Formats: sequence, structure tokens, C-alpha cells
Amino acid sequence: MSPKHVEQMYDALIVGAGAAGLSAALGLLRSERITAMIQSGTTPKILVISKLQPLRSHTGSAEGGIAASLGNVAKDDWHWHYYDTVKGGDWLVDQDAAQLLAQEAPATVINLERSGVAFSRTADGHIAQRKFGGHTAQFGQQPVPRAAYAADRIGHQILHTLWQQCVAQGVEFAEEWYVTDLVLNEHRTQVQGVVAYDTHTGTVHALHAHNVLLATGGAGRLFHTTSNSWDLTGDGMALALEAGLQLEDSEFVQFHPTGLAHTGILISEAARAEGGVLRNSDGEAFMQRYAPEHADLAARDVVSRSIMAEIDAGRGVPDPKDPQGPHDCVWLDMTGIDPDHMHAVLPQVVETIKEYAGIDPTKQAVPVKPTAHYTMGGIPITTDGEVYTWVDGERRPVAGLYAAGECSCVSVHGANRLGGNSLLDACLFGNRAGAALASRIADTMGTDDTVTVHSTTDDETTGASPSDDAVAAAAKARRNELQTLLTAGGEADDRADAESTPQQPATKDDNAYQLLADLGAAMERALAVRCDSASIDAALQLVDGEFATRARALHTHSDAPAFNQEITAIWEVRHMLELARTVLCASDARHESRGSLKRTDYPERDDEHYLAHSMTSRDGAVQWQPVHIVDMPPQRRDY
Amino acid sequence: MNGNDETRALVTLRVHRFTPRAERNRSRSGSPFAKQSSPFGSSSARRPRGKQWVQDYELSVLPDTTILDCLLTIKRTQDPSLAFRYSCGHGMCGSDAVAVNGTPTLLCTAKVKDWATPDRQAAIDDDGFRKTASADDASPAPVQGGNSLGVIELAALPGFPVQRDLIADIDPMLEQIKRLKPYLQASGKLATTKDGNVDVFEYLQQPEQLAAYETLSNCIACGVCEGSCPVFAGGEAFIGPAALITASRFINDSRDTAADARMDAIDTADGIAACQSVRACSRQCPRGIDVGEEIWQLIAKVKERQ
Ligand SMILES: Cc1cc2nc3c(=O)[nH]c(=O)nc-3n(C[C@H](O)[C@H](O)[C@H](O)COP(=O)(O)OP(=O)(O)OC[C@H]3O[C@@H](n4cnc5c(N)ncnc54)[C@H](O)[C@@H]3O)c2cc1C
Ligand code: SF4
Ligand code: FES
Repeated sequence: MSPKHVEQMYDALIVGAGAAGLSAALGLLRSERITAMIQSGTTPKILVISKLQPLRSHTGSAEGGIAASLGNVAKDDWHWHYYDTVKGGDWLVDQDAAQLLAQEAPATVINLERSGVAFSRTADGHIAQRKFGGHTAQFGQQPVPRAAYAADRIGHQILHTLWQQCVAQGVEFAEEWYVTDLVLNEHRTQVQGVVAYDTHTGTVHALHAHNVLLATGGAGRLFHTTSNSWDLTGDGMALALEAGLQLEDSEFVQFHPTGLAHTGILISEAARAEGGVLRNSDGEAFMQRYAPEHADLAARDVVSRSIMAEIDAGRGVPDPKDPQGPHDCVWLDMTGIDPDHMHAVLPQVVETIKEYAGIDPTKQAVPVKPTAHYTMGGIPITTDGEVYTWVDGERRPVAGLYAAGECSCVSVHGANRLGGNSLLDACLFGNRAGAALASRIADTMGTDDTVTVHSTTDDETTGASPSDDAVAAAAKARRNELQTLLTAGGEADDRADAESTPQQPATKDDNAYQLLADLGAAMERALAVRCDSASIDAALQLVDGEFATRARALHTHSDAPAFNQEITAIWEVRHMLELARTVLCASDARHESRGSLKRTDYPERDDEHYLAHSMTSRDGAVQWQPVHIVDMPPQRRDY
Repeated sequence: MNGNDETRALVTLRVHRFTPRAERNRSRSGSPFAKQSSPFGSSSARRPRGKQWVQDYELSVLPDTTILDCLLTIKRTQDPSLAFRYSCGHGMCGSDAVAVNGTPTLLCTAKVKDWATPDRQAAIDDDGFRKTASADDASPAPVQGGNSLGVIELAALPGFPVQRDLIADIDPMLEQIKRLKPYLQASGKLATTKDGNVDVFEYLQQPEQLAAYETLSNCIACGVCEGSCPVFAGGEAFIGPAALITASRFINDSRDTAADARMDAIDTADGIAACQSVRACSRQCPRGIDVGEEIWQLIAKVKERQ
């Protein structure tokens, strides 16, 4: 769907239609003040833009659950959830935000239920809950069932329910529109709008807005092996960087220990909980050695690091599908689990392994390797979703710019996210950002008729001159670039010489898909699970050298703009490079190991120097923002 | 496991391609985007015009590679212009329903070994090419050079206008789903104790009540059932199996209070009356919903009221 017509000025543009974007739209529309406004006949102009049809968003893939101390199955307390979150994040968590997360979690989950989510139920009809790694009772004493679940499809249920509620509210969507630019004023203190590309028609739109919310999800595609869907190319983070803003804690990427070999598809932790054992090429159950107490059920980052240590020591195995390939997997041996029991309690796991590895896990070991799973860092926001930059030791807000979900960093996950906390983050802080947006709209609507309205959507010949309209200027630049991308690959005589790229493609047959694959491989070599300054340097050289040159030279292989997926693929891979650089610079700057970041050249946590959030800008400069400690001074993180 | 799976073999993907014609004349000097008139040009039902052709791509793959992986390899190494939707890669997002050898299914769950058939155009000995496991087992020899699994034919999902290559416009399905108010309409009441205090905030639902609609709630709106339905894909006025599944999901949800209105909404000529119980819709549903049976029960339920 595309909007019936494009408004000249929007009250709010929401970019992204996963759990975070849709929660924000609902938080906005359900707020008291906006409801009252609509009833009295003033409807704010809101548009949700998504590069995918909303139901295709990655949120739909989440399996396990959403955390909240409902206490439906065993006694629970939000203080315990708060503690677990801070400890799980290795104390790089802003404690005021984590407190809100834990405190408002039960209401968030209950709201989802009342909106229609088909949660699994306890025998007496309450929302069912299961145990999840790191969620404990009594401040770390014993595991507690805190993750509210819907079989193994919680993300699907939440995504569809939120979309359904948006349909009920009559939310307008621009589907399969790709946002290419975030436009701020000159001093980066105020948002002005976005530029969006309608993939259906190949049209570039200048969209002016008083408020913009980014909810574009994660960036797992930075790595070759990832559990993330193909669209998770970190667009929102790159848009912020390109607009001159910073990213917070972007060096923290969670690797789930058991991705299914070359696919990266997630094999749930439940496989090990039910008795699955990790083995190296000698058949040794090596986790005994690394974590004598918890063995295969140690924390995610611990298991991932142990697997990599085995691989580095030459005890890895190749993916049987590629016997000649690198020995970069280990075995997940589930043959000790009774086959009937396995089918009863791990149906999805068995199906995934059969479907995508062609292996029967009751009879054969399964090749696994750590898979890029979640980006803890992102666009820095306050607990009301307002985007800010860290300047001179202060948070300086960008008026009207908001963010939520995996692309943002309110800093509840710190250096390592707990399972079940990310859907919660997306829904809860998405909702809060929507409510904050609503207040801002209600405060300013009617008072801002001074705003000049330009007709700048499509027709360049009318409307304001680009010099006083930054959004129109950005759109114009995109249109020119688009023209170049579409024609640069054509026959030489078909090409206007003025349009040709500065460097003609050295590799004429290069394309965005190949570049994305090469970048993923390089990032995996450099950063997956562990890194050091040499590995970071090597990747930075590629990113700034060969990859940058190739990215500049990319062009499409068809000049028909409608549904030309190569166009967005080119923009995506350029976004990925922007982000890759920032992640590498932030990793380089942090001379310690904490949570998901393991620097082999700085193996210990260093609270004296690095109990601080990295704030990295496009030029690679890193500033440090102190962690908000409220009532939990840093401790050791043992499990 | 089939031992033969570890050996690569050739497969030909025969893709029905389509490039829409630009909606306006392109001038070489100026920007072709300057005079785009309407931002919703493509969403109407009118059949787009453009260039149509069939293209063969040959790949060397492992037999249990998914067709989606084949197409991604083609994009990377042979033809980046080939267009098809995809996102999650493992059957959860519902992006990639296409016709594989004429049968609607998801690219990311369809495997080469299950769909490759001997090429009817090139007359080759078809002994080694049967897709059954026993035939594969019988020929464990390495298949480098020339050994072929055969051909897989791909086309956009039937029943919907083609937009480009394997991309179809499935908005009509989503519009039909939206027509049926696809959202929970509950009483809004909080559960209270005997003396009137709020007891629980969530709606209570017993596991048996959940079981009455849980499977239905797993629909990912992929459109496979719609493309399989001869009535819907045949172009007759029919709201379509996916929309009926959505209606049934809410009708069977103990929390929903609008069952009557919902049944009225589908008790129409283009609603349940249009279903001819062919049950082709059940065969390929990636979420294992027995779509035909569910619709059958829904019809019975609607009829029962009278
Ligand atoms: C396999 C897997 C299992 C998981 N399981 C769990 C779990 O059990 N519990 C849990 O809490 N978390 C889980 N997570 C994490 C959780 O699913 C995600 O963090 C969360 O869904 C992110 O939601 P989001 O709304 O931020 O982003 P997404 O759902 O990814 O949505 C991003 C949206 O942005 C749009 N978009 C992106 N770029 C652009 C652009 N340039 N222009 C326009 N639109 C754009 C996309 O179309 C999409 O609509 C899991 C993750 C994975 C990978
Ligand atoms: S019922 Fe099945 S086939 Fe039909 S749209 Fe839903 S998931 Fe797809
Ligand atoms: S790519 Fe998501 S269902 Fe196939």
C-alpha cells in the first residue's frame, strides 16, 4: 500500500513497522490528548513508512518470549528483573532505564494480551511463563519463569496483533518505501523530514515532518552468519550517522552460540537445556573445561567464546554441506536425548534442523557456530524516546526526532542483552516514544501555522527553491543519484556523459549483493565473538579501501526503476559500510572486555576507565558518556 | 539422511520474468522522475504492461538447497536484476510465495531436490533424474560435470497481478483481510473478585479455549492458499481463503465479542458462498493450517445460526 496522496507536512513520520514502530503508532494514537483531538475533529497527519510490508518485519521471527515479572507461574518481583537486567548487561546499563523496563513490563505484556496476542496459558487461564537464561528470583538465587510466551512464536503473535490494532486505528502506511535520508536543520537541533523512495514506482519523495521516529530494527546482516532476516541492514543507525548524529555502544553485538552452521538460523537454547552437548572435532564435550559448573548451559557470551576458542585451536569441524570448507563449526550432539522426548519438547528445533541442514538430530550431530543475533547499541535516546547527541558532557536533544526498538539505545541491554528483554524494549519504549510524540504534537498543533508549506513531493519545477528547503534539496540529490545508478551500467552510447560516476566500475560485474557478502565475511573475521586491534585494523582497511571504492562504483543492471531491488540493495550496502566503520571504531576505542565484547588484547573488564557508553560519530571519533548508576554499584558477573 | 545430498549437481531455474514498462516517456537528458503524477500508480488492479520473457539460469547446488538460496546465488553471481521478495529466509515472514512448477509455495522452504523435474524441453535420459529418494540413492556417484537434477519452473503467485518477475501485488488479499475487521474486539472488562476489586488485568482464557483458534492465529498471510484456490485465482469474486481464516481466528477466540457481526460479514455471495470446497488451499500452507477443513467448519458454524 502507498498513501492515497502525500501530505505537504506530517505531524509524525514513523520509519519502521516492527514491534517498535507499530507500538509507537499505537502509543501515539491511543494517548488521551490525541484521542481527544481526533474526537474534536483535528486529525494529526501520521504516516508509517516501511521498506517491507509490516507483517514481514523481523519481529515476526522472535520465538522464545517477552519478559515481565507477572508472577503467574512462580513468585516474581520487578526488582529481581531489574537486577538481572543490570547484571546481564555487565553493568553497562543505565539503571534508571532498566528500572522503568522492569517496572512497566507487566503492564506492557498485559496490554499486548488485551490487544489480542494469543499467549499460551496456565491451567487457570493466565498468561503462561517459562524460564529464560539469566532471569532469576531473589537477585540471582534461582531461575524464575519470567518469559511470557506463545508456544515458540511470540514475535509472530505480537507483530500481527500490533498490525491488527493499527488497522483498527486506521493507520496509514507507505509500504515498500525505503527511507534514504534523515534531514535535520543545519545545527542538528531540529528534525525537518525524510526522503523516501517508493520502490513500486521508483519515485523519490521529499516528506516534511514536525516529528520523525526511527524504528528500523537491527543490523545482523553486518555479519555473514546471522539469525537476522535479510532486511536487517542497520538503515536507521546509518541514517542517524549520515545526518551527523552519534551511535551509542555500537561495539556490542550479541552472538548466539548455536546458529545452524552455514545458515545462521537460530537453534534455541532449549536444545541444550534438554540435554544437547557441544563437542569438538575430537568428540570432546569441551564446555566441561570452560565452565565446570554450568557446562553447556553457561551464559550465551561464555559459550560463544568457548566455541570460538576451540575453533581457533584447530578443533573445529567443517559444515558437512561444505566438507572442503573452513573448520569453523562445532557439533551440537543431541543424540543423547530420547527421540520421543525430543519430538515432544523440541518440535521446532527438530523441524529446523531437518529442513535446513538435512540432518536427523536424533541420529546425527548438528554443525553449529555462533551467529550474530542482536545489536545492543544504537541511536542514543532518553527514556521518552528522544534522540540526543552527547556534546560537552551533556545530552543535547534533537527536537522532534525519536527512535525506538533495536535500532535505538536507551541502554537497558548494556553490554549484553538478556533473552526476552528486546521485544519488551521495543514494545515498551516504542509505546513511551509514541506517547511523548503525542504530547509534543498536542502541544504544538495549532500554534505552528507559521510553518511554510512547500509543494515538493514530486514536481521539481514548482515549490520552494532547494536552498531554503533542506528536505527538497536532499530529495533532489537522491533523484540525481538514482538516475546515475540506473544508467551507469547501460551501454556506453546510451549514457549521458554528465551522469557517469567519478570512477567507472573497475569490476564491471560487481553488484551490491556480492559486496554485502564480502563485507559480512570480513566483519565476521574481524569481530565475531572476539577481536583485537589487529583484526579491527584489517577490517577497517577493507572498509575504507576496497569496499568503499566498490560501493561508490555500484550501479544497477537494469534501468527500469519499478521494483528494481538493486537500487535499495545498493543503498543498503552503503548504509552497512557506514555502520561497519562505526562499529569497528567503537570496538577499537574500548580497551577492555565486557559482556559481548571480548578483546583478546584487553581481556579484563576495566570499570575505572570504561564504565561508560561509547558515543561514536561518522568520523570515528568516540566520546564517553558515564553510565547512570542508581542503586547498584558494579559487581563481578558470575553465573 | 540421504547420502547423496552432499554432492553438488546442476539445476536449471526457468523463471517467468516480467519488467513493467515505464509509465511515462523517458527523456535522456532530464530526470525521468520529474513528472511523476500519482504516488499510487501501481496499486490499482489494472494489468501492467511491459516486457515478458522466460529465462533459464543454471546452477551447481546441493540437492537440499532451498530455491530461495539458489535465487540469492543468482542475484550475487549471475543476474542482480532478478526480482523476488524475501526476508526471514525460514518460513516465518510470508514474503516469498511464488508458483513453483505451477504450485504456490514459499521459496525459502522449497528444496531443489523436491521440485526439480527432468527437462521436458531437452530430451534427456530421465533415469537418473527422478526426484524420489530411492532413485537418488541408486546413483551415489559424484555428479561433477553434466549431472543434472533437472528443471524448476518459477512464476509469480497466481491470482494476483504481476509487478516484476516473481513479485506479485498481494495488496488485494490484505485489503480483503482488512475488510473483515481483523482485530480483537473484546469487552474491555477487567476480571474482578466477588467484592468488586480488580482481580486480574489480562483476559482469562483456558488452554482449551486457546486451542480453539491457536492454529488459525499462526497464519502468516503469505497468500499460498489464495494462489492455490481455483475460485480465487480463477478470478471469481471471492474474498479468499486467507481472509476467511482471519475471520475464523476471531470468531473462535473466546475473548472476542463480535462473532455475530463477523459471521454476517462473510455470509455473502463473495464470502463463504463462493467457496466450492475444492480444498486445494490446504495442501501447501506453510503453517500447517488445514485451510479447507477450517473453512468447512466455519461454513457449518455460520449455517448453524439460522
Ligand atoms: C531469531 C530471533 C529470535 C528472537 N527471539 C526473541 C525473543 O524470544 N524474545 C525477545 O525479546 N527478542 C527476541 N529477538 C529479538 C527481537 O525480535 C528484535 O529485537 C525485535 O523484534 C526488534 O523489533 P524492531 O521493531 O526494533 O525491528 P524490526 O521488527 O526488525 O522492524 C524493523 C522495521 O523497519 C523497517 N525499515 C528498516 N529500514 C528501513 C528503511 N530504510 N526505510 C523504511 N523502513 C525501514 C522494516 O521494514 C521493518 O518494518 C529475536 C531475534 C531473532 C533474530
Ligand atoms: S492460511 Fe496458510 S497458506 Fe493461507 S495465507 Fe495463512 S499461512 Fe499462508
Ligand atoms: S523468506 Fe520469510 S517466509 Fe520465506
